[in-house]
Amino acid sequence: MKFKITLAVLLAATLPVAAEVDINPPVSATETEGLEAWSRIYEVASHPRCANCHTGASDRPMWSGPSYGVTRSHGMNIRAGESRIGAEHLLCSTCHTTKDEDWDNANAMPHAAPRVAMSWQLAPVEADWFGRSSIEICEQLRDPDRNGERDMQALAEHLDHDLILHWAWKPGGGREPAPYSLQEHVNDILIWGTAGFPCPES
Amino acid sequence: MQLTVNGNEHEVDVTPDMPLLWVLRDELNITGPKYGCGIAQCGACTVHVDGVAVRSCQLAIGDLAGGEVTTIEGLAEPDSLHAVQEAWIEHQVAQCGYCQSGQIMQAASFLDLNPEPTDEDIDAAMSANLCRCGTYPRIRAAIHAAAKKLQEA
Repeated sequence: MKFKITLAVLLAATLPVAAEVDINPPVSATETEGLEAWSRIYEVASHPRCANCHTGASDRPMWSGPSYGVTRSHGMNIRAGESRIGAEHLLCSTCHTTKDEDWDNANAMPHAAPRVAMSWQLAPVEADWFGRSSIEICEQLRDPDRNGERDMQALAEHLDHDLILHWAWKPGGGREPAPYSLQEHVNDILIWGTAGFPCPES
Repeated sequence: MQLTVNGNEHEVDVTPDMPLLWVLRDELNITGPKYGCGIAQCGACTVHVDGVAVRSCQLAIGDLAGGEVTTIEGLAEPDSLHAVQEAWIEHQVAQCGYCQSGQIMQAASFLDLNPEPTDEDIDAAMSANLCRCGTYPRIRAAIHAAAKKLQEA
């Protein structure tokens, strides 16, 4: 590998930190309840705050949603590379700097690069959500081979610990937050999982 | 609040949310890093923190977390310029020069990560550093030249 700085070093600041939500799966959930929960989950997954950085095989994050007007690739020819953190080209953290964990008002300025208390990065290739249908995203999220080998509990814990995901609900800078709340989204994951991860047929 | 810039320790009396660029320019009178946009859109304020390029307008001093800051003033060795600076002079890259300290700091950090860049790599790394004079072809040539110098060093 020609890159001098190892990804392990660059990703050192991505260790999970906070725990903000309660993870209490329901005792039972019907398929109908699971599908209703999935419908809400899809609203979140397909929202620009989430989907813009879930671009699949493309290493170009997107700019879309009410804050951007026209849908387009991230300005400045940004490419996250195979590393997904821009190590081959321009590190995401060059502009999306890492903030202190306790500073809640770090993203107040419109049009500035959002910052969280971990290294900014693109989602894994397998988590291909931008422009994808409800069925496509549903099947990816319930497939351990494509969701990081996560079961229901692990999906919920991932949402609890990954601070970039938390940013989606408090993006600042005039950006539209993802729908519902982090806790409601985790609750829906737990309902969907308890119901057996049902996916819509059409 | 303490910080180390170009190997020198400084004590500043500022609020933790003050951007590093403000601290450098207004508190320490280190004016190589330039103010261009204040929102990470232009790259004129680029410095290194622990050797990695960062837009200093986007890093609050309270988030520096002990990182050592290097500005264009501290990039060269005491008795020789950095290879990127040498290449910049040889290729006469600068026109008005306002963006050039940011360009050089970004290029130096980029070559640390990618010592043998292609044209495409350079374009992907440097497109977030804007130059209103349009010196991009010379920037690209100088980066190739600097890469060669660093390989031969």
